[in-house]
Amino acid sequence: MQTIYTDFLVVGAGLAGERAAVQAADAGFSVICLSLVPARRSHSSAAQGGMQASLGNSVMGEGDCPDVHFEDTVKGSDWGCDQEVARLFADTAPIEMRRLAHWGVPWNRVVPGKSIYYKGGKQFEKIEAQEKEGLIMARSFGGTAKWRTCYTSDGTGHAVMCTMDNRCAQMGVEVHDKTEAVALIQDGETCFGVVARCLRTGELRVYLSKATMIAAGGFGRIYPNTTNAVICDGGAHTMCVNTGVVPMGNMEAVQFHPTGIVPTDILVTEGCRGDGGTLLDVNEKRFMHEYEPEKAELASRDVVSRWMTHHMREGHGVKSPYGEHLWLDIRHLGEEHITGKLREVYEICTSFLGVDPIHQLIPVRPTQHYSMGGIRTNKDGAAYGLKGLFAAGEAACWDMHGFNRLGGNSLAETVVAGGIVGRKIAEYLEGCETEFKTSLINDEVKKQQARIDVLVSCANGSENVYKVRRVMQDALHKGANIFRNQEGLETCVAELQEALVRAGKVGLRSDGKGVNPELAVALKLEGQVKMALMVAYGALQRTESRGSHNREDYTARNDRDWLNRTLAYWKNEGDTLPTLEYEAATEVVEIPPGDRGYGKSEIISADTPKDAGKKGK
Amino acid sequence: MSRLLKFNIFRYNPEDAQSEPHMQEFVLEETDAMTLFIALNRIREEQDPSLQFDFCCRAGICGSCGMVINGRPGLACHTKTKDLPGEITLLPLPVFKLVGDLSVDTGSWFREMYTKTESWIHTEKEFDPEALEERMDNKDAVSIYELERCVECGCCIAACGTARMRDDFLGAAALNRVARFLIDPRDQRSEKDYYEIIGNDMGIFGCMGLLACEDVCPKHLPLQNQLGFLRRKMGITSLKRLFGK
Amino acid sequence: MTIVYAPAGKSGKWDGVLDWLQMLSGASLILFMWCHMLLVSSVVISPDLMNAIAWFFEATFMAQVGGPLIFVVFLMHFVLAARKIPFRMDGQKAIWQHARMMHHGDTWLWVIQAVSAMCILVMGSIHMWVVLTDLPITAAKSAARIQGGFWAVFYLFLLPLAELHVGIGFYRIAVKWGFVKDKDRPRFKRGENIVTLMFIGIGLITLIRFLFLATN
Ligand SMILES: Cc1cc2nc3c(=O)[nH]c(=O)nc-3n(C[C@H](O)[C@H](O)[C@H](O)COP(=O)(O)OP(=O)(O)OC[C@H]3O[C@@H](n4cnc5c(N)ncnc54)[C@H](O)[C@@H]3O)c2cc1C
Ligand code: HEM
Ligand code: HEM
Ligand code: SF4
Ligand code: F3S
Ligand code: FES
Repeated sequence: MQTIYTDFLVVGAGLAGERAAVQAADAGFSVICLSLVPARRSHSSAAQGGMQASLGNSVMGEGDCPDVHFEDTVKGSDWGCDQEVARLFADTAPIEMRRLAHWGVPWNRVVPGKSIYYKGGKQFEKIEAQEKEGLIMARSFGGTAKWRTCYTSDGTGHAVMCTMDNRCAQMGVEVHDKTEAVALIQDGETCFGVVARCLRTGELRVYLSKATMIAAGGFGRIYPNTTNAVICDGGAHTMCVNTGVVPMGNMEAVQFHPTGIVPTDILVTEGCRGDGGTLLDVNEKRFMHEYEPEKAELASRDVVSRWMTHHMREGHGVKSPYGEHLWLDIRHLGEEHITGKLREVYEICTSFLGVDPIHQLIPVRPTQHYSMGGIRTNKDGAAYGLKGLFAAGEAACWDMHGFNRLGGNSLAETVVAGGIVGRKIAEYLEGCETEFKTSLINDEVKKQQARIDVLVSCANGSENVYKVRRVMQDALHKGANIFRNQEGLETCVAELQEALVRAGKVGLRSDGKGVNPELAVALKLEGQVKMALMVAYGALQRTESRGSHNREDYTARNDRDWLNRTLAYWKNEGDTLPTLEYEAATEVVEIPPGDRGYGKSEIISADTPKDAGKKGK
Repeated sequence: MSRLLKFNIFRYNPEDAQSEPHMQEFVLEETDAMTLFIALNRIREEQDPSLQFDFCCRAGICGSCGMVINGRPGLACHTKTKDLPGEITLLPLPVFKLVGDLSVDTGSWFREMYTKTESWIHTEKEFDPEALEERMDNKDAVSIYELERCVECGCCIAACGTARMRDDFLGAAALNRVARFLIDPRDQRSEKDYYEIIGNDMGIFGCMGLLACEDVCPKHLPLQNQLGFLRRKMGITSLKRLFGK
Repeated sequence: MTIVYAPAGKSGKWDGVLDWLQMLSGASLILFMWCHMLLVSSVVISPDLMNAIAWFFEATFMAQVGGPLIFVVFLMHFVLAARKIPFRMDGQKAIWQHARMMHHGDTWLWVIQAVSAMCILVMGSIHMWVVLTDLPITAAKSAARIQGGFWAVFYLFLLPLAELHVGIGFYRIAVKWGFVKDKDRPRFKRGENIVTLMFIGIGLITLIRFLFLATN
């Protein structure tokens, strides 16, 4: 068995992971990043739209500053976020964007003079200032007061990912790609590294480290329809869930993006609407401005997704063999704009749909997109429950997004959090001495090898792994989607519990030799079902509507009872439900809960007497 | 009636002593808007769960799924079956080390490439968190991005006859990478520095102008023009070196 | 942090210069072949014209000096270009297998170029030797040679091989050095193909003309 030692081990080589790695390497520590795929293929590279930072260079972003960004973020989160963290984020984001520019990101820059832009399908004119020439430009994105989204054409994530990985190569950060972390090595108090499976040979390998960070991105693949990459399966989360001591925060907070294309669920960027694209119904009529007169198509994602679903339920959806959908119209933006700034969108439509967006409408529907929830950390990125374990990026619940994250805020979070947490980890490493207990390591390896043997030999049964996974996905899709209610969630939980039993009886149909892909799926299935249960059960318990969590039977936001964060544990192996605990959403309150300014605003404020706002039953 | 597609897929598991390289046939009914991503996953889930292949974004943006599709290297996820004949032959990308079946190790190859080309901005300037960002012409930014669009799928390497004959040849993706830094005003390397990297037969002078790279690049990078640009630039540098010193 | 500009890899001090020489030798051979075509094909218009041109070269000593010089360039080009041809079995297998797999026009063109090159090396040398050791060039002598039969067949092979190699070489120089950009490539390639075919046509007509030329 190969054992590899390093000061700092990062599970994940996306933007968050690599940013933290660079920070620690800069401080002189040895760093290794593990990744399922070569670093640049991490899902960060799929982000097209851009990242938010209040640089205020564009004339449309004039007067922007961290305060406004902070306010947008808190409102966006529907007051579910940790305000201290949101503040830290908003203040640091501009510096990080400039740092990225220094490292090599080819941000689009301000071109002074007249240019046209579109909003709500109408054409407007703006004049960029001469003195801002060549500074980092921004574009408009949903849920923001100002144009604040820094971008490189429509490949922002890709460009930033390239630069970050270049920086890693320069700093000597090792990336072990095609390596999948399968279990944490821990004794219930401290984390010592991971057991990983090599995806070149199929062998198990041990990584020992003084500090370990999970930066494994989102877990959208527990849903059947998601914009996430196939590797965003929550495998690394399951390692934490399985410890029993590390809680997952706000798992019920799942974001659905308004514009996934039908049928492949590939995302077309919010930039389409930011640049003036409109949503149309079956009669090719706009409808968003009727529900949201002010922001129309540019209201926050949860709001737009919800109204779209509502509109389809009202019978205005377009019927298709793949279910109902609506139309996204960008034809009026013109060929130059579409094949230039929105080229990636153009390519997706032509090569995956056979639709030419210059002349045709794009079929879209709301699709699972982002996991606000994840491994709960404090503001330094240290995970609850285990010393030496950290998390950042989409995998973490650092919690600047609360119950809804704003477009462009998460890519920015990866580098901001990566930087901050990386610095904290360097500090932690400074004064850290660790002893690695051989027995602990051997036990964990044996345990994983035993799991593999059981799966290969079908000792527990021969359930088909893909079928059980499908059951889990369908249960979530039906019960824990955009609109939720008690009945649906209860059914969902029951179905998931059944799936959990079946997941325990999975056996491989293939021989499991080498880099067997069936084995990879099987190893994380049980953990995934546990996470699905955290989503569904957390949603069932949360009897209010907040951000993306939307209960039909509790339509109001309830700040009196639910201004808190769910912490979900899987305390014992044999449990059939997660254990839920709650903590205050935020210790520091800069902006007290209030009206978001968009969406419907039914609020049960903290000082409403107990039985006033009860609805439904 | 939908077609029955016949897939001939290369099979070999180097980790299994009994495994021999061979072609295996699978039959699958075509569905609407089917891509090779959908097809291969169905084959794996319904017919042979040990089949190895790589997908990640399944949206043509990450470069994971390069393979040889009916003779041509390309991205499987954005290949629609309706654009293919009823018989589809899939092979792993040559040049790269085989992991198993259709899966190859592009990661190691490209990491080595970063080191060889020193794929990062070289500058003496320190970052100042207090200062405004350095200004840059938007046109420069756009042309850099144009070259940065490479997704490192490896298709241009696998398609290049030179790379297949000589394993020390850098290949189009690497040369394009150098061009990306060469046009970046932030990178302080001089043409002579770049000459040290690519001014040889492993680099730009090794390229024989086969242009398969240009023809297969799924991201349509302007490889032909970049290779020409580099050859002229480095050609002139070679003369300067000859007469300059 | 210190910045090191020295990269990995061997530095190829001469590789750039060699590439220039390869291109220039190729280009001058192309120019020569065009002139050669003018000389030889002038026989179609009238043997006297060919004789006149040949006499001109002779009188100015261009044939005596230029001939061997061309031979030298020819050899130099061979030495330079042959660096790219795989002489080991595995290399050759790789490129054949590759070309067959790819169905890619420009890759096949290179294979044709390499194969034709080897034939030209042998045949071109013989041809030059024969012509240059039997100066002066006259239409009658050439006709006599060709009517002998052996040389007619010999040229029937050398002609298309040489023209293909020259045509592809011309195209390759243009795209390799970026004189022709991606947008113009298809048009340029089509034009080049037509020119090559025309040259082969003219060459054939010339051969036929030689066959029926009186050899008194
Ligand atoms: C289609 C799409 C478009 C988006 N557009 C935007 C946008 O415009 N703006 C914005 O702000 N946000 C956007 N987002 C969200 C944003 O891209 C992600 O939240 C963010 O990139 C996550 O980065 P990360 O570093 O946390 O994780 P990722 O980039 O997902 O990286 C995860 C890493 O973990 C590795 N990994 C996972 N599991 C394991 C394991 N078990 N063992 C080892 N390694 C593992 C992976 O290989 C990978 O390297 C978008 C998301 C999607 C899906
Ligand atoms: C001795 C026989 C010859 C051999 C072995 C030979 C070989 C080659 C080879 C292998 C190439 C490809 C080089 C590359 O792709 O980088 C080439 C290119 C070329 N050849 Fe030849 N050749 C021969 C004779 C000729 C002749 C007689 C001519 C012209 C009349 C000619 C003109 C060219 C041209 C113009 C090129 C393109 C040059 C370049 O790409 O830089 N060659 N030759
Ligand atoms: C200095 C060098 C050369 C001289 C003086 C020369 C001269 C001639 C002459 C006089 C002929 C007429 C036929 C004959 O007399 O046999 C001829 C024909 C021909 N030569 Fe050359 N040649 C030279 C080099 C070359 C080279 C390098 C090539 C090609 C690689 C070449 C290819 C041909 C061909 C293909 C023909 C047949 C022409 C036709 O059918 O139009 N020659 N050459
Ligand atoms: S240049 Fe094109 S073909 Fe080559 S690796 Fe990049 S994207 Fe792929
Ligand atoms: S295919 Fe290869 S030889 Fe050059 S033009 Fe492209 S790198
Ligand atoms: S899976 Fe990402 S490019 Fe095909």
